[in-house]
Amino acid sequence: MARLGMLRLSHEKQDTLLKLLILSMAAVLSFSTRLFSVLRFESVIHEFDPYFNYRTTRFLTEEGFYKFHNWFDDRAWYPLGRIIGGTIYPGLMVTSALFYHILHFLHVTIEIRNVCVFLAPLFSSFTTILTYHLTKELKDAGAGLVAAVMVAIVPGYISRSVAGSYDNEGIAIFCMLLTYYTWIQAVRTGSLYWSAFCSLAYFYMVSSWGGYVFLINLIPLHVLALMATGRFSHRVYVAYSTLYCLGTVLSMQVAFVGFQPVQSSEHMAALGVFALCQAFAAYSWLRSSLTPALAELLLRSFMWLLLIAGSIAVAILALSGKISPWTGRFYSLLDPSYAKNNIPIIASVSEHQPTTWSSYYFDLQFLVFMFPVGLHYCFSNLSDSRIFIILYGVTSMYFSAVMVRLMLVLAPVMCVLSGVGVSHVLTSYMSNLELGRALSRTRSRRHPDHSYPGKQEVSSAVVLFLSFFLMTYTFHSTWVTSEAYSSPSIVLSARSPDGSRIIFDDFREAYYWLRHNTPQDAKVMSWWDYGYQITAMANRTILVDNNTWNNTHISRVGQAMSSPEEKAYEIMRELDVGYVLVIFGGLTGYSSDDINKFLWMVRIGGSTETGSHIHENDYYTPTGEFRVDRDGSPTLLNCLMYKMCYYRFGQVYTEAKRPPGYDRVRNAEIGNKDFELDVLDEAYTTEHWLVRIYKVWRCKMMPIMYTLGCGDYVIDLMVV
Amino acid sequence: FLEGYKGIAYEVKLPTPLSSGEELKVIVEIAFTRTLSPFPTHIVQTERQLVVFQGNHYFYSPYSISTQLARVRLASKNVESFSKLDSTSKNEDVIEYGPFKDVQPFSSDTMRIHFENNSPFLTVTKLERVIEVSLWGNIAVEETVDLRHSGAVLKGPFSRYDYQRQPESGISSVRSFKTILPAAAQDVYYRDEIGNISTSNLLVMEDSVEMDVRPRFPLFGGWKTHYYIGYNLPSYEYLYNLVIDDLTVKIILPEGAKNIELQPPYPVHKSDQMLHFTYLDTFGRPVIIARKSNLVEQHIQDFVLHYTFNKALMLQEPLLVVAAFCILFLTVIIYVRLDFSITKDPAAETRMRVASLADQIRRLIVKRAALYEPFLEAVTRFKVNREGAVLTNARRHIDTEHRALSAEIAALLSRAKADGTDVTEKVTELQKMDAQMRDMVLKAATDADRLVHGKLGRNPYLENERQSSTRRRELAERIDSIVNLL
Repeated sequence: MARLGMLRLSHEKQDTLLKLLILSMAAVLSFSTRLFSVLRFESVIHEFDPYFNYRTTRFLTEEGFYKFHNWFDDRAWYPLGRIIGGTIYPGLMVTSALFYHILHFLHVTIEIRNVCVFLAPLFSSFTTILTYHLTKELKDAGAGLVAAVMVAIVPGYISRSVAGSYDNEGIAIFCMLLTYYTWIQAVRTGSLYWSAFCSLAYFYMVSSWGGYVFLINLIPLHVLALMATGRFSHRVYVAYSTLYCLGTVLSMQVAFVGFQPVQSSEHMAALGVFALCQAFAAYSWLRSSLTPALAELLLRSFMWLLLIAGSIAVAILALSGKISPWTGRFYSLLDPSYAKNNIPIIASVSEHQPTTWSSYYFDLQFLVFMFPVGLHYCFSNLSDSRIFIILYGVTSMYFSAVMVRLMLVLAPVMCVLSGVGVSHVLTSYMSNLELGRALSRTRSRRHPDHSYPGKQEVSSAVVLFLSFFLMTYTFHSTWVTSEAYSSPSIVLSARSPDGSRIIFDDFREAYYWLRHNTPQDAKVMSWWDYGYQITAMANRTILVDNNTWNNTHISRVGQAMSSPEEKAYEIMRELDVGYVLVIFGGLTGYSSDDINKFLWMVRIGGSTETGSHIHENDYYTPTGEFRVDRDGSPTLLNCLMYKMCYYRFGQVYTEAKRPPGYDRVRNAEIGNKDFELDVLDEAYTTEHWLVRIYKVWRCKMMPIMYTLGCGDYVIDLMVV
Repeated sequence: FLEGYKGIAYEVKLPTPLSSGEELKVIVEIAFTRTLSPFPTHIVQTERQLVVFQGNHYFYSPYSISTQLARVRLASKNVESFSKLDSTSKNEDVIEYGPFKDVQPFSSDTMRIHFENNSPFLTVTKLERVIEVSLWGNIAVEETVDLRHSGAVLKGPFSRYDYQRQPESGISSVRSFKTILPAAAQDVYYRDEIGNISTSNLLVMEDSVEMDVRPRFPLFGGWKTHYYIGYNLPSYEYLYNLVIDDLTVKIILPEGAKNIELQPPYPVHKSDQMLHFTYLDTFGRPVIIARKSNLVEQHIQDFVLHYTFNKALMLQEPLLVVAAFCILFLTVIIYVRLDFSITKDPAAETRMRVASLADQIRRLIVKRAALYEPFLEAVTRFKVNREGAVLTNARRHIDTEHRALSAEIAALLSRAKADGTDVTEKVTELQKMDAQMRDMVLKAATDADRLVHGKLGRNPYLENERQSSTRRRELAERIDSIVNLL
């Protein structure tokens, strides 16, 4: 016993030590589990949107906030341009610029790229700690620790926050949970301090992600639920009134949000609940000084008045256009089939698709089963904050089912509620075990427990099962992170037959070629997916990018891609296109290439007036199939996209025992082989043919010029 | 400069004065850049690259020359045309002019050779070299290179198909080139603005590391690229194989270096010193900048740099790290130990008070339990040498000690009772057990006494003693387990 003397800490000290240890380990784990891609490839920005964020962050750190705020970008959406300062949520960029400047002030000369790459893992560490505090408010520290460890490795959250995935969501989840935590505190204490803090957290959230709309509807919903359940109190009144006033004013400071909080219909629920709060408080005050009958009368007349006045006001505002109609994205939230029928550009994005059941299991694993347990615990021990978390859980469950990307919003609450559930189950059964052991020690055979037979065995079985599931959850999460969510998608890797790793670095090869070997002011046409990457890596002007704000412009590009060469040339001259870039996977078997996206180009191209010559059905075979081989529709086989992808591909042998020109993605021999391009030159094709860049002739005399021996500059002179 | 003539005159100092009639062999090596120009200037992918060399048939010199022979070695034997002078002969890839007799000073005559040359025409338009010297035995070198294919410009399309299938296609393009790094180079990286370039190969040889630098795309005429290479090494030397237009060398010295003196092997243009800040710097590292343009392979020479450095400054950075961690841990310690709440929490206070009481009680109990062992030993000794005094002394000792400790424990217990927790319960139970224990131990002594005085038989005593010792052990274990839970 004396040898234990050094380690013997009081209960409090042990408690603190364990909590600190577990929490810091969870935070470190959540950071390090997101580093797979950095270790496998390099510290590189992933995918598409992060490239835009990276580019804007670099601009912010180099040019300062004022210039950033007023930034008109002429490199995108040629010839329209884009006012970047007013059309983005700047929270992410400002956060990383802040980190960058602080670190540089301390002489930690880290590159801005590395700040961007590691920002999301860092914020997920913060989220882990925050989840602990949030869950602690709902149950106790034990549940908090379980939830923290769970959120550290939940795949649904990791999918958006691996190192390099530098996107708004990376910090937005932290902001969201911070707002929830401060909101719960504000409701619990009713203090102005927490309410003001909550408004600030809300402001941070608004400045970093468009998903703040979810928040500003969920919190009023909570207030409404508290009113309905008779839990409305002065504390809630103070909390909500402060949050609504301060939060709305603050959120309007974000240029992109502007006057939406008082105009758009998505924010009207918050306003309505705010009015209701005032009315409810006024009524309660009046009732305290009136007779019950009079109060009843007052209530009734007041309600009618409110209803009539409210509906008239809404009608007037809606008719006069002060309240904007709901946006397409919002409609598609309420009705999953809305986008598919009406807006092809929203439907074409894979992350806007409805979620399948398998992806719930894939992203959340056994949390799916523990979520109801936590819900049950919250329902059976109702409190203000538990009502909030129930509402959050249920609504986000619905939204995640509508859109795949909203799985991200669901993941933290899944962890919180599962943490509560797991902790509840474990504490109940663990105490049985503890009791059993203490019994066997001291008064073993004197007081056997008779509450139910085999108590000891049942408890151990439950604890064992739960530990087993927790372990499989850990393994599953790590496996999913490593296999599914850690590829940068800008560098592809494959296994060669002899087991060594082949790296396809074609995207950067092509972008870098564009950067150094095309004129500074060249305009590059490509499908919008690659817009952000081209502006960031090739530093060239593009026509359309991932910020799909102008449907007609994208449609015009779609028309150029899906028209025959002659027609396409007209469109390209009209848009002053210098180079065209297509992604082609037929040689390597890379399936998300432009031919597979082509039907969306046709649909989007045909969705506007100028694209009336494009009909989706022309691109199918008479039997309604989309084929690139000899049986394919002649419209498809002669459109610009087809020709650019398959130019000279007809001579290439891709697989043994197959004819030349065998497309490895579509598994077909292409139908149109030996053709020449009439208005384009092949300017560059990458090593594995993944990216092909074509140069558009400045005039149709180009080949004659070449045969006469004139260089580009002569032609330039003549065209000018 | 010599009056009335073009060109730069160099003065050559001979090691020993040359007296009249003596002979001396002097080898002058001159490297020219930009004297080969592609002709035609634009070619398509399948064409070969032809270049024109324009020079002087004679050796341009202020002295009269009695015999002169000019031999031109070309890159290939395919020669389109070459200027002819009296005696000119062409053999494979060598063209010989001369020998000429009695050439006048400053005589010149244009030589023009048009021939095929597919060797890479790579020009480094800008090279910036940063050498960071650390006193921890490491030199980090990073080179930022702007590279351009300065041969005939590619016109018309580039076909990847032809490039991959036909070996003749794009013969003048550069797919990759070699650069040699010092043998000790480690952690080599090859990157550009958009990330790692994954196409290079590293070949470690005995006296150097050969790096196969492959740009992201093959360089055709007129195409350019940009990249940087970096590596670490303990000491350095370096080779390069290209023409460099513009070179900047930056040498970053350790923080606190003084009296810096750079001795370059040839004149360079020095800029002002700067300060460079990086990890763990407080007042910045001095940077020396030297510039030079138009360089070739022959310029690769060593330079010497002297500076003084105070050794004590080496400790500065580790100390900074230590201090940072110290502050971190201190903050945690302070945060955990101190109570920052301004309201009183009676429950927590009671808990803490009880915990400290329990701690004190535990220590006393342990001390008390330790009394029995020496006493029993004394009993055993008494059994052997039968001296009554030993037993009496031991008994008196244990009585006083035990009483004192028990009194202390009782006092603490009464204080703990005021807070009324399970600690009092446990301690009361412990007190009871201890009384049992004490009785048994004392009984062991009495029995021994009786045995010695013959009042008890040997066999019953042994039987008794065995039983009671097992019971004592059991009791001691139980006391231990409860104390551990305290």
